[in-house]
Amino acid sequence: MQSQNLRQDVELGSIERELFIDAPPEVVFEVISDPRHVAEWWADAATFQAVPGSTGMISFGTVDDGGKVVTLTVVEAVRPKTFSFRWTHDAEEAADVGNSLLVTFELVPSGTGTVLKFIETGFREMGWEAAVLEATYLDHVTGWKHFLPRLVSYAESLGNRP
Amino acid sequence: MKDAANHIDDDLWSAIGDPTRRRMLDMLLTNGGGTATSLSEQLPVSRQAVAKHLGVLDRTGLAHGVAAGRERRYEIDEAQFARAVAQLNAVGSAWDSRLARIKRIAETIQRSQQQSSDHTYTRRTDHG
Repeated sequence: MQSQNLRQDVELGSIERELFIDAPPEVVFEVISDPRHVAEWWADAATFQAVPGSTGMISFGTVDDGGKVVTLTVVEAVRPKTFSFRWTHDAEEAADVGNSLLVTFELVPSGTGTVLKFIETGFREMGWEAAVLEATYLDHVTGWKHFLPRLVSYAESLGNRP
Repeated sequence: MKDAANHIDDDLWSAIGDPTRRRMLDMLLTNGGGTATSLSEQLPVSRQAVAKHLGVLDRTGLAHGVAAGRERRYEIDEAQFARAVAQLNAVGSAWDSRLARIKRIAETIQRSQQQSSDHTYTRRTDHG
């Protein structure tokens, strides 16, 4: 499975994944596109609006403490089917092919749940450094150790929702 | 560690981004090595073109050539190839973790929404 994924990654210069989530597309769409949720599964903070053309930031750690702020621009937001964005481009530049990585989520209803299709492209155009940065730097702060305590409090807070 | 990573740079993506070079890497791996002549016999491109591609693979460190008679015989550099594979894997696994978290959050929300609607229903029933 892993080697199959890898083979595909090499072939396409992209990362593709597909997974089943036992929640309807409406819920999954919220989780992938709402900055409050993005701050739960990826960055430490996220500021953008889930509308095409919206540019914002996602941040990892605090800048004073070696953290990083990365630009993100929403490309497409079709509730609850597609959500895509470009990221890692320079804040001064408009996101485009060659200066950013493109992440696309497609949501396909499946029974009571959703098949989530994920693809990230742009590595070949941007170069290997972007891929290495993305893998080595941006993930260590959002590992399970960091995330699990949050998940517990997050799950509890959901019970208090109106 | 940092030095090893530096050897794998932008050139690597362009090296493996080309379909002919990927086929050549496949053939070098499968056959345990090859020359421009032996590879071009199995590919729809000229020996000269294959020799150029081999030069690219050599410069990125993915393959190394040694003189063998009138030609150079190329073999995969296993250490460099393994590093490239590991880094590519790392990119994928970063997203595997993120997607696993997306799944957990969405399913947690769904369960809690179901529970709260069940709860509401039960209470309504209780109150007749």
